[in-house]
Amino acid sequence: MGRPNGPGNATWKAGVYLLAENRLLRETLSRLLQKKTEFRVVGEGAYSDAVIEQVLASQCDILLLDGVTRVHAGTDLIHELLRALPDLRVLLIGMEEEEETFVRAVRSGVAGYLLKDASAMEVVAAVRAVTQGEAVCPPRLCQALFHYIAQQAREGTVPAVQAELGLTPRQQQLVSLVAQGLTNKEIADHLHLSEQTVKNHVHRILRQVHARSRSEIVATVRNCGFSS
Amino acid sequence: MEKNIRVLVANRPRLMRELVLEAFADQPDIEIVGEVVDDAEILASVERTHPDFVVIALENPGRRPTICDTVLRQYPEMRIIAVAPNHKYSVYYWASLKIHSHDVEASEESILSTVRNKTHSAGGPS
Repeated sequence: MGRPNGPGNATWKAGVYLLAENRLLRETLSRLLQKKTEFRVVGEGAYSDAVIEQVLASQCDILLLDGVTRVHAGTDLIHELLRALPDLRVLLIGMEEEEETFVRAVRSGVAGYLLKDASAMEVVAAVRAVTQGEAVCPPRLCQALFHYIAQQAREGTVPAVQAELGLTPRQQQLVSLVAQGLTNKEIADHLHLSEQTVKNHVHRILRQVHARSRSEIVATVRNCGFSS
Repeated sequence: MEKNIRVLVANRPRLMRELVLEAFADQPDIEIVGEVVDDAEILASVERTHPDFVVIALENPGRRPTICDTVLRQYPEMRIIAVAPNHKYSVYYWASLKIHSHDVEASEESILSTVRNKTHSAGGPS
């Protein structure tokens, strides 16, 4: 559904904010977008401490963000912006073809992910696509997304939990049982392990996720997207 | 009438190369003599097109690209700008007994100004 002054309106132009380190890239890409009748560039700049305020003040519809700026800013930037502007569409450009980076970006809420070998016309087409509510991703990485979801459903594990906290699928399985309130003895019976082995696992997980209790373990992994 | 400045564009990645071409597109005194996709083809393209300036990629800011030395050793009169796609700056290289460098902001204005000012000058920062 289009907003009153949104995509449904024939004269509406999507407001684009360009956030990239390289000024030449911002200037020329901005000019290419301005040549298209459906876009207006409402702001551009490199990453700074004031970037969130600047993007919010621009009231942009689309945020074009380069890979390096995203690394500088961390995923908090995207989280914070999307919390403040839930309709904002974030398009990452100049990205590496790395499955893990891509899945993390999707989890952070981006609408599009373009590799660094994309052409200028592909960037413009991607801005148009995300404006129209579509998602943009390279086909090979789309396959990685399918794999991620299937793996999560099959194993009840979250690769991001493994990547960020270093928890193996077995440890995640154990956390899932801890979250259900099972005792070490009950977990041992469930997993056909000795109670001592379960104690050792729990002890190691406490150290790995810097938790002081079983409930802190559960809270920490849930923050990483793990739902038991 | 002064002759056009001949520029060979050899940036990577593709987006940066296309945006550099876009920056030069409407400049009446600049002639794009070639576009190179692969660094390995730069020297051959320089030999073929005789540019005044070559614009290349700067992958590791702080480290001079190898192709810079290769080109300037054979063509010491050549001027080179290396643009780092993900950083704020670019570097202008020229040779005069040895290879020199000078940081330039990676903006359209700075790069165009460097290309215009340095094409027929001695090379060093003005």
